[in-house]
Amino acid sequence: MSALQPPAAAGPVPFLSRLHEWVATVDHKKLGTMYIVCGIIYLIVAGLEATMMRWQLAWSGMEVLTPAEFNRLFTMHGTTMVFFVGMPILLGSANYLVPLMIGARDLAFPRLNAFSFWLFFFGSLLLYFSYFGGQGLYGMGSAPDVGWFAYAPLTERTFSRGHSTDYWILGIFVAGIGSTATAVNFIATILGMRCRGMSLMKMPLLAWIMLVDCVLILVALPPLAAAQILLLFDRQLGAHFFDTQAGGSALLWQNLFWFFGHPEVYILILPGFAFVTEIIPVFSRKVIFGYPLMVAATVAIGFISVGVWVHHMFVVGLSPMLNAIFMGSTMLVGVPTGIKMFNWVATMIGGRIRFDTPMLYATGFLCQFLLGGLTGIFLATVPFDWQVSDSYFVVGHFHYVLFGGLVFAIFAAVYYWFPKVSGRMMNETLGKWQFWLLVIGFNITFGAMHVSGFLGMPRRVYTYHADRGWDFWNLLTSLGVIVQILGFSLFALNLVHSLFRGRKAGDDPWDAWTLEWSTTSPPPPHNFDEDPIVHSRRPLWDLKHPDDPDWKYE
Amino acid sequence: MNSIPPNEKTHGIELPQPTAGPMICAFGFTLMAAGIVTNWIVAVVGLTALLAGAVDWFRNANPDSLEMVAPPAREKPTPIVPRPGSVDHLLGDSSHRARIPMEIHRYRDGMIGGAIGGVVMAIFASLWGLIAHGSLWYAVNLLAGTLRSGVADLSMEELAAFSTEGLIVGIIIQAVMAITVGLLYGVVLPLVPRAPLVFAAIIVPLMWSGLTWAAVSVVNPALGDHVEWIWFIASQVVYGVTTGWWIIRSEKIGTMQNWHYVDRIGLETQRTGGNS
Amino acid sequence: MTTAPAALAPPEALPQDGIVNGKIGIACMIISEIAFFGTLIAAYLFYIGRDINGPYPQDVLDVSIAPLKVLFNSIFLLISSVWIWLAIRSMRRGRMGAFVFWWALTVLCGAEFLVGTGFEWYGMIVDDGVWMGTNLFGSCFYTLVGFHAFHVTMGLLVLTLVLVLALLGHVTPRNVEKVDLVSWYWHFVDGIWIIVFFVVYIFGNMPVS
Repeated sequence: MSALQPPAAAGPVPFLSRLHEWVATVDHKKLGTMYIVCGIIYLIVAGLEATMMRWQLAWSGMEVLTPAEFNRLFTMHGTTMVFFVGMPILLGSANYLVPLMIGARDLAFPRLNAFSFWLFFFGSLLLYFSYFGGQGLYGMGSAPDVGWFAYAPLTERTFSRGHSTDYWILGIFVAGIGSTATAVNFIATILGMRCRGMSLMKMPLLAWIMLVDCVLILVALPPLAAAQILLLFDRQLGAHFFDTQAGGSALLWQNLFWFFGHPEVYILILPGFAFVTEIIPVFSRKVIFGYPLMVAATVAIGFISVGVWVHHMFVVGLSPMLNAIFMGSTMLVGVPTGIKMFNWVATMIGGRIRFDTPMLYATGFLCQFLLGGLTGIFLATVPFDWQVSDSYFVVGHFHYVLFGGLVFAIFAAVYYWFPKVSGRMMNETLGKWQFWLLVIGFNITFGAMHVSGFLGMPRRVYTYHADRGWDFWNLLTSLGVIVQILGFSLFALNLVHSLFRGRKAGDDPWDAWTLEWSTTSPPPPHNFDEDPIVHSRRPLWDLKHPDDPDWKYE
Repeated sequence: MNSIPPNEKTHGIELPQPTAGPMICAFGFTLMAAGIVTNWIVAVVGLTALLAGAVDWFRNANPDSLEMVAPPAREKPTPIVPRPGSVDHLLGDSSHRARIPMEIHRYRDGMIGGAIGGVVMAIFASLWGLIAHGSLWYAVNLLAGTLRSGVADLSMEELAAFSTEGLIVGIIIQAVMAITVGLLYGVVLPLVPRAPLVFAAIIVPLMWSGLTWAAVSVVNPALGDHVEWIWFIASQVVYGVTTGWWIIRSEKIGTMQNWHYVDRIGLETQRTGGNS
Repeated sequence: MTTAPAALAPPEALPQDGIVNGKIGIACMIISEIAFFGTLIAAYLFYIGRDINGPYPQDVLDVSIAPLKVLFNSIFLLISSVWIWLAIRSMRRGRMGAFVFWWALTVLCGAEFLVGTGFEWYGMIVDDGVWMGTNLFGSCFYTLVGFHAFHVTMGLLVLTLVLVLALLGHVTPRNVEKVDLVSWYWHFVDGIWIIVFFVVYIFGNMPVS
C-alpha cells in the first residue's frame, strides 16, 4: 500500500507535475473547478464584448465599431454567454456539488466526465479560433456574425461566406456532445449512487433540480446537434435543407433551433433555482417550505418547457390557432415557477434571516427574477409580443431573467460554496459592496432597455439616428455598465484576495444541513472517510439536534 | 445520518486512476471537426489522437476500472457536536416546522371588506367629482374610460354628464377590483409582521397609485390628463383604511396544518362524533 | 458517535436499490439518440412531397425483396437482434462457444446490411444520379439513412472489438453485464431502423396522388 501512496512532498510540487495532475484528472471536484474557472474567464470575455457594444450604442451616430464588427460582437456575446458561461458554470457546480450532496465518491462515469469537460474546453477554443480562421486559414479572420440563433437561410453559404458560420456550428456541436454526455453521467449518478438511506424524496433539492435539468439537456441538445448537421451539410455538401430556391424552408430551422433554444433557457435557469433553494433555508434558519411541491414544480417546468418554443416565432406569421396554443402553454410555465417563488418567500417568512452575502444575492435573485418573469408573461401574450418583438424590451426581459436571475444566483452560490472549495471565507464587506454596485448597475442598464424598447428601438442595430429620442435611454444603459464593471472588479479582487488571505472557513461555516458540509474544506479526493448514512432531507440537522430530528416529520 | 459504519475494505478507499485518455480523445474529436474547415490532414491527425486516446481510455476502464488507493486525508473533518435543546420554536410552543401564518382571515371576510371599501371609496370619489367638477358622474366616467375607448375625445361636459353605459361599466370595474383586492388583503395581511393597518391603508395604496400613474402616462396619456392625483391617492387610501380595518377586526381561524390527516381531507369519521 | 440522552432512534436506513449505473447510462444515451434521430425524421417528414425537381423517391427507391435491396438488407439487420439476444443468453449460461457463434453471426448480418446499403447507394448515385445536392429528397435521404448507417458502423466496430476480445479469451461470463449493454445499443440501432424504413421507404415513397 505504501508504494501506492504519493511520496511525502517536501517543498513545492513542480509546475509541470501540478499541470499534469489537473490535465489527467478524473476527479469530479477538480473537473468542476476547471469548468467554473473557464466559465468565469468566458464571462469576462463575453462581458467585454457587451461593453464594447454598449460603448458603440451609448449615443447616436458613434463610430467605435463598424457594423460588421458589431454583428460579430453580439453573436459571440450571446453564444459565449449561453454555451461557454452558463453551461460550464452550471455543469461545473453540479460536478462539484452533486456527488458531495448525495454522499457519493465520484460521478458514475469519471472518465466520461473528463471527456465531457475537454470537449467543452476544446469546442469553445474552436469557436474562438474563428477570429483567426474564419475566412479560411490564409485570409483575414473573422468570427460568426449571424446571431446566436443563426437563422437560416442567412447562414447558408450564399449569404455567409467564408468559414465563420462553420466554426459556430462545429464549436457548439463539439461542446454540445460534451454537455449531453455529462447529462447522461449525472442521471446515472443521481439515480444509482445515492448513499444509504437517501431515497429520492430525501435528496437535497439541488440534486432533484439537476436531475430534471439533465433530462432536459438530454432531449434538447441532440435536436440542436441534428439541426446544425443539416446546416453543415447545406454549407459543405450542397444539401438543400434551408435553401428556399430548391423548396427548403427557413421555418424548419426556426422550429428546430427553438425546440432546443427554449428548453435551453430553462436548462440555464434551473440550476439558479437549485442554488437559491439550497441557500435560502440555511440563511432563514428554516426548513424549505413545501419540498414535495418544489419537486413537482421542477418536474412540471421540465415538461412544459419542451412545449413552448413557438413563442419565439409569434411574428413569423403562423396560424392564429397555433399562436394561441403556444401562448397558453407559455403562460402555463408561470404556474410552477410561481409555486417556487411562493415557496422561497414562505421559507423566508418568520425565519431568523441572516443577510450574509449569499443570502443578499439570493434575495436579489428573487426580486429581479420576478420582474423578468413578469415581463415574460407580457411577452407570452401574442398582441403584446407583436408590438415589442425584436426590440430592446425583449433584450431587457431576458437579461432580467438570465443576469438578474441566473448570474445573481451564481454569485450567491460562489459566496456560499467558496469556503467549501477553497477552505477560506470570501470577504463580506467587499461582497456587500459588489452586491449593491451590481444591483444598481444592473437595474440601470437593463431597466432602461425596457423603455428604449417601448420607444421602438430594435435589437441588433449598430447605431441609430439622433431624432429617435433613444439617446438618453441608451446613455443610461451604457452608464450602468460602468457601475457593473466596478462591481465585477470588486468580485475579481475579492476572489483573488480571499483565495490567499481569506479567513479560515472550517468545515461548516454557515451551520448548514447538507452532506457536503460534513467533510473537510476542501474535501479530500475521496470526499468522505466513511460512507454516510442519512435518515432525512437534512442529515446534519439530525446530528446537531438529535432531540428534534427531521426524520420524525418526513 | 447518525451512525456511520467503518469502511469494510481493509486496503483503503479506491478511486479511479487519473488518465489523459479522455482529454486526448476530446482533442482528437475537436481536430476532426476542425479538419472540415481547415485541411483534411488536420482531421487525420485528429482521428489518430482520437484512437490513441480511446485505446488508453479502454485500457483504463476494462476489464475492471483501474483504481488507485486514495491518499490519506491530511486532516479529519471536525466531528459534529450535538446541541440538544437549541432549537428555537417559531410561535409559542409550535414546532419550528410550522407554516406561517398559523391563523388566517376567512376569505369571506376579505371579500366583504373589499366590497365595503369599494362602496366607501366610490362615495368619496363621487363627492370629489361633485366638489371639483360639479358632477356626480365625472369619476364614474373616468373609471369606465379605462375599458371604454375614446375617452380622449370626450369634452369635460361629456365626462360630467350621466351615461348609462359608463355607470354600468364603472360599477363592474369597481366591484371586481374592490372584491379581488379585498381577497388579496385578507390573505396577505396576516403575513405582515408589524402594523398591518398602516400597510393596508398607506403603503400598498401608494404603491399601486404609483404603478397606475406610471402605466397610465404610457398606456393612455389622454385619460391620465383628466385625473387629479392627490384625489386619486386619497380615494385609494380611503379604500385601504376601510377594507384593512374591516379585515383586521374580523375573527381569525387556524389553518389546517395541525389537523389530523383524516379531518384535513374532510372525511366524516367517528373522530368528531365521539362514538366508537 | 456520542448522542444526547434525548436522542431518538431513527428508522433503519435502507441501502439504495442497486440499479446498475451502466444500464442507466446506456438508457440515457439511447434517449438522446432518439431525440437526435427524431429531429432528422421530423425534417424528412417535413420535406416529403416538397421537391420542385426530380428524381423523386418513387423513381428511385426499390422496395422489392431482391438480394442486396433494402428489404432484403433490413431482414438481415432485424434478425441480428435475435442473434445478439441468443448470444447474451448463452453467455449468461456460461456457454462461451455458443456466445462467440451467435455474436459472430450478428456481426455478419450487420456487415451484410452495410454492404447492401453501399450497393443501394452506389446504384442511386451512379445510375439514378441522386446525391445530397440533387434535390431535397437527396439531402434528406442521405442524411437520415446515412446517419443510421453511421450508427450501424459504430455498433459493428464495437461488436467486432468484443468478438476479437472473446476470441482472444478476454471475455468471460463475468463481463456479461458490460457486453449486455452493447446489445442494448444494437437493439436500438435495429429498432430505429424500423421507423426509418417506414418513413423513407413506405410513407415517403407513396405514389403521388
